[in-house]
Amino acid sequence: MSTDLELEHGHDSHGGHDGGHHEPPEVVDGRQRMAIWLFIGGDIIGFSAILFTYLYLRGVNTGGHWMSMMGYQGHSYAYYENAANLPAPTLITVGKLAAGLNWLVTGLTVLSAAFVWAGEKGLRASKNAKNYSVMTALATAVTIVTIYFTIKQMQNIPSIYVAVNDSHTMAYTAYDSSMMVLIGSGMVHLFLLAFLGLGLTIRAARGVINGTKWYQARLVRLFWVWVAISAVIGSAVTTTINTIH
Amino acid sequence: MTTTLEHATQAPAKGGGLARRQNFITAMIGGVVFAWLGWFLAHHFLDSSSRSYSDLVTTSLTIGWIFGFWLGIGALNGPGRWLIGADHTRADDLYYAGENQGRARYWKYCTDHKVVGVQYIVMTAVLLGAGGILAMAIRTELIVPGNHFVNQQIYNGFVAVHGMLMILALIVAVAGPWANFVVPIMCGARDMAFPRLNALSLWTLVGAAGLLLSVLAVGSLTMGWVVLAPISDQAGIGMDFFAMSIVVFTVSTTVAGVNTICTVMTMRTKGMTLARLPIFVWGSMIAAALGLYAFPYFSLVEAQTLMDRNFSTSFFVAGGGGTGWLQANLFWLMGHPEVYVILIPAVAALFEIASVMSRKPVFSYRTAIAGMTGLAALSILVWAHHMFTTGWAPTLGGPFMLTTELISIPTGLFFLVIIGTLWRGNIWMKQPTLWLFGFIFNFIIAGITGIYLSDIPIDNQLHGTMFVTAHFHYVFVGSVLFGAIAALAFWYPKVTGRFLDETMGRISFWLVFLGVQVTFLSMFISGLKGMPRRYSSYSLIFEHANVLTTLGAYMIMAGMLVLLGAVVRSWSHGEPAGPNPWHANSLEWLVPTPPPLENFDVLPVITEDPYNYREELVQA
Repeated sequence: MSTDLELEHGHDSHGGHDGGHHEPPEVVDGRQRMAIWLFIGGDIIGFSAILFTYLYLRGVNTGGHWMSMMGYQGHSYAYYENAANLPAPTLITVGKLAAGLNWLVTGLTVLSAAFVWAGEKGLRASKNAKNYSVMTALATAVTIVTIYFTIKQMQNIPSIYVAVNDSHTMAYTAYDSSMMVLIGSGMVHLFLLAFLGLGLTIRAARGVINGTKWYQARLVRLFWVWVAISAVIGSAVTTTINTIH
Repeated sequence: MTTTLEHATQAPAKGGGLARRQNFITAMIGGVVFAWLGWFLAHHFLDSSSRSYSDLVTTSLTIGWIFGFWLGIGALNGPGRWLIGADHTRADDLYYAGENQGRARYWKYCTDHKVVGVQYIVMTAVLLGAGGILAMAIRTELIVPGNHFVNQQIYNGFVAVHGMLMILALIVAVAGPWANFVVPIMCGARDMAFPRLNALSLWTLVGAAGLLLSVLAVGSLTMGWVVLAPISDQAGIGMDFFAMSIVVFTVSTTVAGVNTICTVMTMRTKGMTLARLPIFVWGSMIAAALGLYAFPYFSLVEAQTLMDRNFSTSFFVAGGGGTGWLQANLFWLMGHPEVYVILIPAVAALFEIASVMSRKPVFSYRTAIAGMTGLAALSILVWAHHMFTTGWAPTLGGPFMLTTELISIPTGLFFLVIIGTLWRGNIWMKQPTLWLFGFIFNFIIAGITGIYLSDIPIDNQLHGTMFVTAHFHYVFVGSVLFGAIAALAFWYPKVTGRFLDETMGRISFWLVFLGVQVTFLSMFISGLKGMPRRYSSYSLIFEHANVLTTLGAYMIMAGMLVLLGAVVRSWSHGEPAGPNPWHANSLEWLVPTPPPLENFDVLPVITEDPYNYREELVQA
């Protein structure tokens, strides 16, 4: 390999260990944008696999257990051999999770993405970092509220106590299981967004993100929008395709 | 090109407090403390009468372990500082790159890609060593029928952990050390695109390996490395360790894959067009991309296994509406591409070695890239051939048989490229070349027996027998391990400045090469006779083949120990090699040995491809 060793301005940046401090923002931006797209690509594979799980289990409906005991109303003890030491039974209704709560979580995720996107547009247009900080703070607050409702979703998954010889556990149907992993992955996304949103807020307030150095705002926005899109897709699938006909 | 970087002579950065005292020891302490905390919290706050109690406590412990390990090694420092807007200064970055820290940097969260590469070499050796010891125990158990070297339960655990340890070891055996050590230099970059993520991938692997090895200490598992339902649901708490180690491992591979691709695509020096990239760089990038596709399935299937065990969900439990076929599909959606995540970097390294050692350009460079890309693409369409005998979707058997057989086309291109490169070359018969020839021999056997198994009628007869075990060991041991050792022998002088001991290396080669033939050819025979996999005892009709297999395995172990001795001895006492012992043209050979921090004083501008061997070099 023939090489010419020559120093070129802008080419001899110390790109190795400087975390972007000594490189032009457009260089760092391009590199990090590719990384974020690759991470999103990996996340799309994972999310698709979760949806595949949901649709596959519904499709095969093993032993009629996609939503077994659907419509059951009563105590949370489905059956037991020895009820000693069981916690107090709760009244449950076995069936689909409320679509309203599902769409509320999705709507809030979209709203937080909108805040981040609008903040970034404002930052790039008006160079107003303070305004951006406010918008990301709002997005973070909305995300924390969304996490609360996601926890409520988890609590609403109808569980059935199964007691066998004093050892009991909760059992979930295939539908419940699929919803749990979908909601759980959404919760992981939301915790990540809360971390990123908080970071953006602090960084903008401290002037690390500003009108001329905003590439991180765009990177986070790309991921945030993907999370919102995945929430919409998840809600649409689980709302329209759930019961076995 | 002798250069000394200006900052390399600066005084080491001061300050940093606790963050600059973090190392492997603090990571272990952090891991143990937080593992105990996880156990303690779960133990005290969870309902002990729950059927899932022991699994929940174990999972809590494993989460504590990995969090504490990350905290202790310093992996969370960067995100923490990003959160509060106090980014690393250049002095911080140079500190984390190990500047002026001597050997201590090898025990730290070091961001220098060359240090990470060496750490991967050690990590690979540890994983191969642990997996190898288990292999010897398995073979000792099987040397005669009815042997009781270990009890059957422990034997099952050995099989499971041996399988997964070796899979992890081979995933990182080439891509770990060499995609880190040489790929950035080959591209003309000062480091990987994301040095901190690079260190994260390495240390996350260390944490995952700790969890996997713990399986042996907590009661082990009851079947092979795939650990499908219902056994995955019924196994003891070793399964929780096992599944969590995979979830953590996939974090490592994802981060490493993104880093490799970004490095190659965005950090090439001026003139280093895609058409001028050394072929090993292409192989590393294609394997990284395939890993990004495959490993999310692995993570999900193990996470769902954990949920079934911890929360009584019903993904894979038929009684609750789940199905084992879901688990098998998700697992093999990962499982077959993973074979090529392992294989492609090894083959790409051999392309590189064939070119340098025969003083000829890579034969049909674009065909080599097409072969690797085609193999990666086809590999995502063949997963169900692992399920021919399960009864899942019999009507899809034909299409999956076809896609599997099509794999032989890009695989055939590999042979074409290697043989075309060597053909009429001025072949330099050193250690890397020996292992290359060993690879060619073994990979032919691996490939042809793979074609047998892709045919449904034959698979129906041989599925679950030792024939399958022999086939994939010809792939992993006979092919990938040979490629990995060839790469080690080839780039070892760049890491240490010394040649790998030639005599010991040749002894090692012949022991391992002959050992592979004795071990796995006899295993084909026992498989053809019908001996099932994973059994700790067997009928007398399989005895002769098993004696041979075990003796061959001992030969392989002896050869690997000689190799280990050569690596250790040559590190300090080997023959000095100089910066370019193979008279090669790619950039890693044009920088000093060992390469300085940030590799280049000034970045090179590339004007030719790396395989344009000139007459004077050939004569040299």
